[in-house]
Amino acid sequence: MKVSLGTSLVLHTLVLGLALVSLSAPATFDVAEVDALPVDIVSVESITQTQQGDKKAPASQKPSPKETKNQKIVENAQNAGENDVDLKTPPTPTTKPQPTETTAAPKPVERPTPTPTPEQNQVKDIVKEETAPKPTEMAALPQPKPEITPPKPEPTPPKPEPTPPKPEAAKPTPAPVQTENVSETGELPQAVPTPVSKPQPPKPEPPKEQAKPVEKPAETKPDTAKAAETAKTDNKATASVKPSDKKEGKQQETAKSSSSMASDFNADQIAAMLNKQEAAGGGAKRSTQVASRGDTKTIGTGLSSSEIDNVKGQIQGNWSLVGGLTGVSEVRVKIRVQLDQSGNIVGEPEVTATGGPEGTRRAVEGSTRRALLKSAPLKNLPAAKYEGEKGWNVLVLNFDPSEFAL
Amino acid sequence: MEQVGLAAAASEVSLWSLFMQAGLVVKLVMIGLIGASIWTWAIVIDKYISFGKAKRQFDQFEQVFWSGQSLEELYRTLSERTNTGLAAIFVAAMREWKKSFERGARSPIGLQMRIDRAMDVTMSREAETYEARLGSLATIGSAGPFIGLFGTVVGIMTSFQAIAGSKSTNLAVVAPGIAEALLATAIGLVAAIPAVIAYNKFTADAGKLSGRMEGFADEFSAILSRQIDEKLQPRQAAQ
Repeated sequence: MKVSLGTSLVLHTLVLGLALVSLSAPATFDVAEVDALPVDIVSVESITQTQQGDKKAPASQKPSPKETKNQKIVENAQNAGENDVDLKTPPTPTTKPQPTETTAAPKPVERPTPTPTPEQNQVKDIVKEETAPKPTEMAALPQPKPEITPPKPEPTPPKPEPTPPKPEAAKPTPAPVQTENVSETGELPQAVPTPVSKPQPPKPEPPKEQAKPVEKPAETKPDTAKAAETAKTDNKATASVKPSDKKEGKQQETAKSSSSMASDFNADQIAAMLNKQEAAGGGAKRSTQVASRGDTKTIGTGLSSSEIDNVKGQIQGNWSLVGGLTGVSEVRVKIRVQLDQSGNIVGEPEVTATGGPEGTRRAVEGSTRRALLKSAPLKNLPAAKYEGEKGWNVLVLNFDPSEFAL
Repeated sequence: MEQVGLAAAASEVSLWSLFMQAGLVVKLVMIGLIGASIWTWAIVIDKYISFGKAKRQFDQFEQVFWSGQSLEELYRTLSERTNTGLAAIFVAAMREWKKSFERGARSPIGLQMRIDRAMDVTMSREAETYEARLGSLATIGSAGPFIGLFGTVVGIMTSFQAIAGSKSTNLAVVAPGIAEALLATAIGLVAAIPAVIAYNKFTADAGKLSGRMEGFADEFSAILSRQIDEKLQPRQAAQ
């Protein structure tokens, strides 16, 4: 036994000694030192409801959009920006600079008003024919310059003859039919298509063909370009058109009507939306302030739910409902009240109760109105959110029974 | 003070430093468990050697016994030295036989009984030596983990008290104390696991040896009873 005890002791000391050497200090975990992160406490509204401004600007008390340089003032614009048309979408950066606008400016008008164009083409040709009045062939040349007409009339006549059948069939025939259908009664269309398509092709069309090569290669664009000009000079055009052709006289009438219709809608706005060359988006409201912190567009400026709860709480505190009413739990109350900047009620608040028995509804309406008047002026409303469509200049609150039948 | 101690502890986590940092109770528990482990292994070595030797002796004796050698002769050679195992049983039975027979026993049944008793006594004495110290193996095996756990609980208790004093729950402060406490359980398990395994093995071996001894005793008692009958019959017939 002594031997085995001695052996055991020796073995243990050996093992422990080995353990002390080999297991001495386990490798410590490498932990990367992390720097302290600065944390801002942000309210939910700063994300869900942001106003137009500059994302990198320092936060300021008063919201203000970026300063704009465009001098042209657009009426009723809601969104700040450099755009000529008021759009809600934020501006997309363009690789090309502004100059494209000048060349592109006429183009947008072409597309939105397709109906007037065919007629106006003819009209416009005629407008400039005024100098060289009735001969249609002559008129073609005057467009670039009226004086040069004499030399060119001679070459022009040959051209119209070969070309006429093709272009006429392609364009003029469909266009007048459509416009006339829309604008005037069925009498005119019948008269117009027949002359344009077959008998008269040589006379009205030669000017177009000549006009196209001179101004632009593409066929559609010249028409539109003309349309823009014609829109302005409608009156003159109608006057001048009469001498040129007997049958076009009817077309002139259609031109008038179409131009008057064009004035109803904002062609610029539609053109801006369709135009792919310019930067799309961006508001048109001008601003002279330095941008405060905000988003690229205004997302919402309404009261947050906590602010609405705050107002509701102020009103609830003054609510005293007579007991013993039946069916109070079915009544819903809607309040619509105009407020001034300091929270005072302007005019008569609208209180509408729905549901439940008639008497109860009336009693609830009365108590609501009293509570509302008693709690004026409403406090703790953020001044920055007063203005605007969603601002609290008009406050709409909905109450359900759990909020007033305490 | 405690804060300083804990901060220093955080840097050193080697086995030795863990042991040195431990409280008195935990230290005692650890030392006790290391002692138990030493004792366990001492028993294991001792039993391994002695059981191996016993088995060899059994085989040797059985070979000699069944070789047809005269029992008298065998007794004469064996009685001169100290015997263990089967040899001890044989010597005890032969001694009883000689004493009773040479003095002229009257009753064969009484003689048979005496021989059996003598063999039983020797057998149980031998079995006792085989099973000696196996009990302590069982104790270490079952109590070792608990003792280690006790050390751990005490160690964690004291380290939590130290944490409360330091007023910091930083893991670097908490960890060393708990690691040191857990060391006690580890040592307890290190001592207990071999003890349990060895206990199971050696009880089985001891059972086998005592079974073999019983078998030999029965066979030998059968042989002796035949001899008694053979030797007493002519004597009774002569009377």
